[in-house]
Amino acid sequence: MTPEPRSRIPPPRAALARRAAAALAALALACAWLPQARADQPTDARVKAAFLFKFCGYIDWKGAGDKSKPLVIGVMGNDDVAAELAAIVPGRNVNGRPVAARRLKPSDSLDGIGMLFIGAGTDSPARVADRAEKKGVLVVSEGEDGLLTGSAINFVIDNDRVGFEVSLPAAERSGHDISARLLAVARRVLRDGA
Amino acid sequence: MARARSSISHRITVLVLATTVTALALSAIGLVAYDLHAYQQQWTRSLDLQAEILARASAPALAFNDPQTAQKDLSIIRVREAVLVAAIYTDDGRLFASYVRPGQTADGIPEHPQADGFRITGDQIAVFHRVVESGEPLGTIYIRATYLPWSRLGDYLTILGVVMVASLVLAALILGWLQRGITAPILEVAGVARRVMGQRDYSVRARKTTDDEIGELVDAFNGMLAEVERRTEALHDADRRKDEFLATLAHELRNPLAPIRNAVQILRTPGSPPDMSQRALEMMERQLRQMVRLVDDLLDVSRITTGRLGVQRTPFDVREAVAGAVEMTRPFIASRSHAFEVEVDPQPLMVDGDSTRLAQVIGNLLNNAAKYTEPGGRISLTVAREDRDAVIRVADNGVGIAPESLAGIFDMFVQVGQSPGRVQTGLGVGLTLVRQLVELHGGTVTARSDGLGKGSEFAVRLPLAGEGASRPDREAGGNEPPVPRRRVLVADDNVDFAASLCAVLEAQGHDVRAVHDGVDALAAMQAFLPEFAFLDLGMPKLHGYELARRLRRDPRTAGCFIVALTGWGREDDRHRAKEAGFDTHLVKPVDPARIEEILRGESPPMPPRPKALAPR
Repeated sequence: MTPEPRSRIPPPRAALARRAAAALAALALACAWLPQARADQPTDARVKAAFLFKFCGYIDWKGAGDKSKPLVIGVMGNDDVAAELAAIVPGRNVNGRPVAARRLKPSDSLDGIGMLFIGAGTDSPARVADRAEKKGVLVVSEGEDGLLTGSAINFVIDNDRVGFEVSLPAAERSGHDISARLLAVARRVLRDGA
Repeated sequence: MARARSSISHRITVLVLATTVTALALSAIGLVAYDLHAYQQQWTRSLDLQAEILARASAPALAFNDPQTAQKDLSIIRVREAVLVAAIYTDDGRLFASYVRPGQTADGIPEHPQADGFRITGDQIAVFHRVVESGEPLGTIYIRATYLPWSRLGDYLTILGVVMVASLVLAALILGWLQRGITAPILEVAGVARRVMGQRDYSVRARKTTDDEIGELVDAFNGMLAEVERRTEALHDADRRKDEFLATLAHELRNPLAPIRNAVQILRTPGSPPDMSQRALEMMERQLRQMVRLVDDLLDVSRITTGRLGVQRTPFDVREAVAGAVEMTRPFIASRSHAFEVEVDPQPLMVDGDSTRLAQVIGNLLNNAAKYTEPGGRISLTVAREDRDAVIRVADNGVGIAPESLAGIFDMFVQVGQSPGRVQTGLGVGLTLVRQLVELHGGTVTARSDGLGKGSEFAVRLPLAGEGASRPDREAGGNEPPVPRRRVLVADDNVDFAASLCAVLEAQGHDVRAVHDGVDALAAMQAFLPEFAFLDLGMPKLHGYELARRLRRDPRTAGCFIVALTGWGREDDRHRAKEAGFDTHLVKPVDPARIEEILRGESPPMPPRPKALAPR
């Protein structure tokens, strides 16, 4: 499947200013909107962190053991993402399962990790990915050719917007199914033989 | 006719159609109300479902900030033709994607989402539906669709109108058919009633076509018509008989007058031969007797009919009464040259009653027999005992009675064999009196005839008084010892009556005085000291009761036998007379035989409270 060319439509400035004013005025009442409201332009790192957390909801975690134990997202080679993720996850859960974030080095053990984000700053990402895959960890990468390292999901920047692509064979190798609903919003999906 | 028909049919039609319309309208209102409610429910449920599907589909696009995908997801809503616009908002309230049906403008899309729920404005319905995934709020779906309950209502009302018109037409048709069963019999009865009232024709009858209440009405109506018809006929009949009676009465009363006038003329003529004068007198007496008998009969019938005539019940021998009657009628029978046979049971036949009345009955029957038999006929009278009855039969070989007349022969004013040319006529009162008197005695009278010209037989049957209760036989026939000479006072304010009674008594050789008021009577009593006094009860100055009391108080007059004379023979009068001290009581017109009995001293004392026979 070839992703269609898309254009990002930035919200008009005036509308944003009004939004900010309205949000400030309704500060006490509209607390649910506060995280979005406090930053004018979310950074790529924040978006990626948010996506990492949201991916968890679209993945059928097989053999991930005890549901009461937190689903741990490991982050390597991107401190910004690790920091943003650490800010998001506390107190939140996916399908009733708590989520935790952990910053990792390539040499660290991958025990207890459900999803591993291999940042652009990671040395020999393919090896890490291979090791993670063997341990049943779903690997997420970033970069133009991220999927080549063997990751299941790869962040790409398209028209200044963070998107992602999916490799179904990789996900299969890690032993987890990715929801078709997630595939619907992926930029690209690699299937068998692709 | 047309008015009556329209009125009852019209009212039933209005009734039924009004009921139908009301029922239809009520059910229609209920149906429409329910349907509008269901319509709204269905619409909101359907829109909600739509929104939920959209929410599920667009959740990933919202989560991963992909407006293009959201746009694509949203465009599937176009298959719902009622949906005009749809929109997706992000969780922070931005418009994320929108769909506008071709031909609609995007103006209607709100800039920001509102609280979840439905909003109905005019002919549109809108819904906001929150998108939540894994407990995370992601955004809001907005759908706006056409909502046309009113056009639906219009369709509904159109259908209902058609149904109602069809129902009414059908109801009217069925009504027209069923109504005939109700109105037709009523209209028929009404028609018959109109004919009855218009033509006074009571012989028409309504036809009964149903077996319900209307059928009962028809029956009752016909029954009343029959009754009216019967009564009208009876009335006509009675009227006709009354007219005939009056004519006969006038004739009968006038008949004797001509001979009497002739006789008077003869007597007045100086020098007429004595035997002629004698014949004239005899003729006058005969004619007078006939008139008196006629008037007496009429009075008796009238008394019985009005319940004023009671008969005294004293035991007497039927044979005596028969003998009296035979004596009275023998001259008449002889005058018509009939052969007359009398056969009487040798044993006494005692019955309770009034012998004078019974003699009257038999005399009447004998008279009739003699009258309705051509001269030279044969008349027989038998008195015999049959079981516990004394039976008196009077038979003749005269004109007889037609079978169809037998039943009514005892009715008042009915005359049998009446024809304008007949010599022998009568009032038709005699047989009525006979039956009434016999019935007062607890007996029966029957008539039998083999037909016109075959003669007739009347039988009077009277119950015998107690078995074997018989009075020693008193020799029948006139061999009575002569009455001794008595002193008699007659007091009556009717001068003629007093004078005539005096004349009769004087003729019998008694010493008689007459007075005409109570005071004179008292004085005469004390001066004349009579053995017998006949006192009228209703005298001026001193009435009979008071007079009797005073006489009883006075030792000089206390022993006198006093007799009350009155026009009324009621129980009360008898009782009061006895209390006042009267020895006995006579009802005017007085029977000379009774007076003779009293003067002879044979009068039975007045019974304590004589029990009168009630008229049946």
